[in-house]
Amino acid sequence: MLARSLAVAVALLIAAAPAGAQKPGGSLVIAQGVDAVTLDSHLVVDSPTFTVTSHIFETLFEYTPEGKIVPHLAESHGVSGDGLVWTLRLRKGVRFHDGTLLDAEAVKFNLERVQNPDTKSTYRFLIDRIKGVKVVDASTLRLSTEKPFAPMLAHLTHGAIAIQSPAAIRKHGKEYVSFPTGTGPFKFKEWVRGDRLVLAKNPDYWGKKPFLNEVVFRPVPEGGARVALIETGTAHVIVRVPPRDAPRLTARKDLEVLNTPSVRTIYIAFNMLKPPFTDLRVRQALNHAVNKPAIVQHILAGVGRPSDAPISPGIFGYRPIMTYEYDPARARKLLAEAGHTNGFKTELYCPTGRYLNDIQVCEAVQAQLREVGVAAAIKTMEWAAYLDITKKGPRESVVPMYMLGWGTVTGDADYGLYALFHSSQWTPAGQGRNFYKNPKVDELLDRGRAVATPALREAAYREAMELIMKDAPWLFLHAESQLSAVRKNVKGVVIHPVERVMAEHAWIE
Amino acid sequence: MATYIFRRLVLTVPVLLGVTFIIFAMVRLIPGDPAQVIAGEQATRETVEAVRKSLGLDQPIAVQYVRFLRDLLRGDMGTSTRSLRPVARELADRFPHTIELTLAAMLVASVVGIGAGIIAATRQNRWPDTLSMLLALGGVSMPVFWLGLMLILLFSVKLGWLPPVGRGSLAQLVLPAVTLGAASAAILARMTRSGLLEVLRQEFMTTARAKGLAEPLVIGKHALKNALIPVVTVMGLQFGTLLSGAVLTETVFAWPGIGRLIVEAILARDYPVVQGAVLLTALTFVFVNLVVDLLYSVLDPRIRYE
Repeated sequence: MLARSLAVAVALLIAAAPAGAQKPGGSLVIAQGVDAVTLDSHLVVDSPTFTVTSHIFETLFEYTPEGKIVPHLAESHGVSGDGLVWTLRLRKGVRFHDGTLLDAEAVKFNLERVQNPDTKSTYRFLIDRIKGVKVVDASTLRLSTEKPFAPMLAHLTHGAIAIQSPAAIRKHGKEYVSFPTGTGPFKFKEWVRGDRLVLAKNPDYWGKKPFLNEVVFRPVPEGGARVALIETGTAHVIVRVPPRDAPRLTARKDLEVLNTPSVRTIYIAFNMLKPPFTDLRVRQALNHAVNKPAIVQHILAGVGRPSDAPISPGIFGYRPIMTYEYDPARARKLLAEAGHTNGFKTELYCPTGRYLNDIQVCEAVQAQLREVGVAAAIKTMEWAAYLDITKKGPRESVVPMYMLGWGTVTGDADYGLYALFHSSQWTPAGQGRNFYKNPKVDELLDRGRAVATPALREAAYREAMELIMKDAPWLFLHAESQLSAVRKNVKGVVIHPVERVMAEHAWIE
Repeated sequence: MATYIFRRLVLTVPVLLGVTFIIFAMVRLIPGDPAQVIAGEQATRETVEAVRKSLGLDQPIAVQYVRFLRDLLRGDMGTSTRSLRPVARELADRFPHTIELTLAAMLVASVVGIGAGIIAATRQNRWPDTLSMLLALGGVSMPVFWLGLMLILLFSVKLGWLPPVGRGSLAQLVLPAVTLGAASAAILARMTRSGLLEVLRQEFMTTARAKGLAEPLVIGKHALKNALIPVVTVMGLQFGTLLSGAVLTETVFAWPGIGRLIVEAILARDYPVVQGAVLLTALTFVFVNLVVDLLYSVLDPRIRYE
């Protein structure tokens, strides 16, 4: 709780720094590790691309960096008594970059486009519970569901459910990806693939006008090169700073290193159907065998927070539940009780280059497991192959333990828990790659999704998380943090926990 | 000569056909599902299947290959599964940048390499020779990746003489060209040195000097022309290597070239882009080889093709 408030306070301080006048003008250069993929917001799946599109497009509700859900394009909302009908009232007078008006028809168009299977939007499942979208008048619409769905507003904050101009989509058809048209503070200007993506200020923006003339996104794959860019001042903001460069950058007077939280939790999952992980004592033993705080401190250079829950702090429904203390003696005792006095052999699947120092973390885990007699051979491969092998069904899966991360991008516990711990979500249909099943947890997750009162939802999630932590379907590791660097003369840049750089209200002194 | 060129061009077709077949098969044999990668790790199975269908990947491989060839003959290289733009546009956007970088690197490699080789050969066993060969050893041993980062650290960060990464101005071309050209320069230096030493030993060199010709003319016109034949071969091969090996330099310097495109496309299982890019690279390689072969007949009048 304290750590979260502290992190938020720091983020706000950076954002609201009062020193110096808010000068209009300037071109802000942000260097990310990869280029954007596509600018059709309904088709975006990765955070670097969302970073770009969230400057061009806006959502009905916004998930703020502090973890609140606030009205954005929707000005207010109401829910019917039975929880089945949501009424949204839109902000009036908002125009798209092509001059057309944002009205209820436009929002209906967008929601239906995402829901349309032909669009192939990955995040369609976020709003597939909306069975009907009805336009009441130019600025009011009603969304109806078959069963109450409490996380509705949270899901409408997601970047993939952004509102794009129907006129532009109709006009350009397949070419729309080259003419992204939204309502946001910046318009799309040009994109030289692999080199730079330039957004220009939207002078007719409905909200607080941006100070910057331009925001330029440059893809720079090599971490060392990104660091060189910020050291020479060629870039104003860089993300994913390699931890080993942090001390050197922190020592400099002309830039600021930011260590901010992320909604992504990293874990190693046990295949609950494969012995010896079918035994609770073995799973708990392995949790005691690994020193999570030491890993965060030494492998990640402090860029992370040991997990005390299956989701990261700052997410609605989060509460610190418990940790498994580093206790190799206890681990050995539990293993002996489970019949593994001499330990056992297994495999640890690990991605490489996907998460911060992922393979190094796995190696540290491997070393610590060896101390209690568990010989885990590390199996690694590149990402696409890794996704393939971990996504097999209960009968085909050969993977006993694997590392993955999950970003709760809606800021709501339902998103972080349902897909991973509800027994209806086993792969290959869903995301539950480790075949966890606890009927009580299922019931609690269903309840959290159905009841409307936040307090009741929080209670359901707290109980579910307590059960999950005790069941230890995971070797709980850490919540990721984001290491970024900003030049001292740049103010107002915010690093959002969903791994987005927000430059909407930034200025250069 | 014309028939020779024509025959070479005709032979290109089966070569390229073979290339398309190999790359088509290879890219489908590696594990990893393009539809899953495009849809993202959080996608539902339905979305993944819908994507798979839209890519035509639910068809048998033979059908996919026939469709691919048919479209290719119509001039359609397909659509990138990631950016949804035509593959031809993706390639056209980036290929010129790689050519630019490769030509600059070849320029650096030739000037520095051949120059060093000449110096080494004409001052054999004295300190310029030893120094040149030492530098050549260094150039060929240093990993491109490491060299690039070191150059950025020195010339950009510490000295501030040159911009760090990216493409645009001439200044931004310097470090990547040097990085990419270093290993080639080293190889060319050694080849030039040994070739020149070989030629300088021959009798006609004594004749040239006896005629009273100035030394630069002796070396430049008579010796080099003969020594350069193997060097030109190597340069041709180097061009092909640089073209495809530029990916490391492109990654370090954030250069928007085709090397990076291919790697990103492979990692993302963007089959159309991988196929199109490899085809383009093969075509370029074949073309460069043809030019090199033709260059021989310019350098050595004894060589004639019919």
